[in-house]
Amino acid sequence: MGIGAYLALASVLFGIGAVGFLTRRNMLIQLMSIELMLNSANVLLLAFNRAYPGNHDGQVFAFFVIAVAAAEAAVGLAIVIAYYRVRKTIETDRATLLRY
Amino acid sequence: MITDRITSFLGVAPLLLLVAVGLSIMLIDAFSKDRSGLALTTAMSLFAAAAISGAIAVRGDLVAPAQITRYLAVDQLGLFFDVVICAGAGLSALLAGGYLKEHGLERGEFYVLLIFTAFGAMVLARAVDLLSIFLGLETMSLGAYALVAYRRTSARAVEGAVKYFLLGSFAAAILLFGSALLYGATGHTDLAGIRDAVGSGAADPVLTILALVMILVSLAFKVGAVPFHMWVPDSYEGAVTPVTTFMSVAVKAAAFAVLVRVLAGAFGDEVSMDLFTGWTPVIVILAVVTMAWGNLAALAQSSVKRMLAYSSVAHAGYVLVGLAATYELGPTAVSAVLYYVAAYTVSNVLAFGSLVLMGSKGKEAVSYEDLAGAGRRHPAAAAPFVVGVLSLLGMPPTAGFFGKYYVFSAAVQAGMTWLAVLGVLASAVGAYYYLKVIVYLFMREPAEDAPIAVPMRSYYVAAALLLSGYYVLRMGVTPGRYLDFAISAATTFLG
Repeated sequence: MGIGAYLALASVLFGIGAVGFLTRRNMLIQLMSIELMLNSANVLLLAFNRAYPGNHDGQVFAFFVIAVAAAEAAVGLAIVIAYYRVRKTIETDRATLLRY
Repeated sequence: MITDRITSFLGVAPLLLLVAVGLSIMLIDAFSKDRSGLALTTAMSLFAAAAISGAIAVRGDLVAPAQITRYLAVDQLGLFFDVVICAGAGLSALLAGGYLKEHGLERGEFYVLLIFTAFGAMVLARAVDLLSIFLGLETMSLGAYALVAYRRTSARAVEGAVKYFLLGSFAAAILLFGSALLYGATGHTDLAGIRDAVGSGAADPVLTILALVMILVSLAFKVGAVPFHMWVPDSYEGAVTPVTTFMSVAVKAAAFAVLVRVLAGAFGDEVSMDLFTGWTPVIVILAVVTMAWGNLAALAQSSVKRMLAYSSVAHAGYVLVGLAATYELGPTAVSAVLYYVAAYTVSNVLAFGSLVLMGSKGKEAVSYEDLAGAGRRHPAAAAPFVVGVLSLLGMPPTAGFFGKYYVFSAAVQAGMTWLAVLGVLASAVGAYYYLKVIVYLFMREPAEDAPIAVPMRSYYVAAALLLSGYYVLRMGVTPGRYLDFAISAATTFLG
């Protein structure tokens, strides 16, 4: 498989994530969409690294992304739980307290 | 050699200090019930980190010139932002020391989060590699999300945090995808390597442009530029005021640092400017809509806290004016950006700090109505507010005046006089809502049987206001010393 196929795969994954984030109103699903976007970047980093065999920057980068994604999920879920405790819902449509 | 090792560690000493203090406070908080000293310890360590960075900047010969790793730079630009970020964070810690105690919210994790978020901001401001940019950005942002949600039983706080978290993570994912594309286009993750690859024409132009657009979008999110600002008013309003202060100064400063490094540094040569239209028109458009919308939306607010949030959006627009001039003008424009960020930091701390001061247990001052007549009842408490809003407005002799002056004159020198004129007009709109604060403080009476906000008594808040007020006036009367630091940071960075 050439680099083009991986680029296409990553773009499709990223697109699904972005569309999911923008159209779904459930915070957990939005969180999952963001994870998908992060992982699409991982695919891209690994695939591009094959084109530059002189270094392992892409591979190393992907490991860091995995770690950061875990940390982000932890903080994100904590915030979603705090939100659920106060508001008894996790629909973003209901998050309308803060307006003028 | 071993001395080189030691001196190159000296370059990251402020970062190491903050990590050590953050971890110690975590331990102390786990074993001790006494929280009274935490605010002072936090503020003092942050000021110490700022002092170390300032000292290294003055005695640069003490530090090995080489980067300690390929990921973090020890340069004047990084040190300048160290000082700004640590000063902003330290002053916010002092405000928190008064505010959290007054409102019964004091918990140890606040200071730990504040220190680690400031640490992330410093890493971001020094980052010279896509990997360290991503890590710094996430370290800073994750801390900031948690800080916004700090008052976790408040519906407004958690709603602000949810919005900030979702949009911030979305922006971070875009940044990451852009970084991956840039790595694919150039084969490098370090900004210097990217600059060489793009400059030699080896990089794929389509991928490069796409990557730069994605990176720009996500950084525009982080600085709160219109149209990527929707999280700003909500999370600024939901967060406790010391956190709002911290986010509006330190987090924003770090995001501008990385914008300068990426645009003026990695993409600052002719080849990059020949790609499509170059990035200058994009920054100009962002600056125009940000100034316009930030000021107009601030007009419509009835809450002072929300007004200051939109005003911080508008100020991001003024900084973008300076940034737009960097390609034409080089170091002069970069130094104007740096000076503006520093001036904005102290002015904003003063304005938000005064808002903290104006409330006390049971009744926080938030809206204009809460301030009605407070200036006549408590003139001493209102004085810093007046200086703060005048500096944000850009009146001489305050820091804000020279900040605006340098930024707009950079735009004029770069041949964008119309942009400077627009900036001045936008500031004139700002006069309405800034002066409205003063009008309410001194010329209005509170409505009948409305709850009256009484200023709190706190040495911490008083100290933060005195310090920031001193620097607002100092930078407004004798700007030379601070401008010299900004110029030397800009010239060593671009030269």
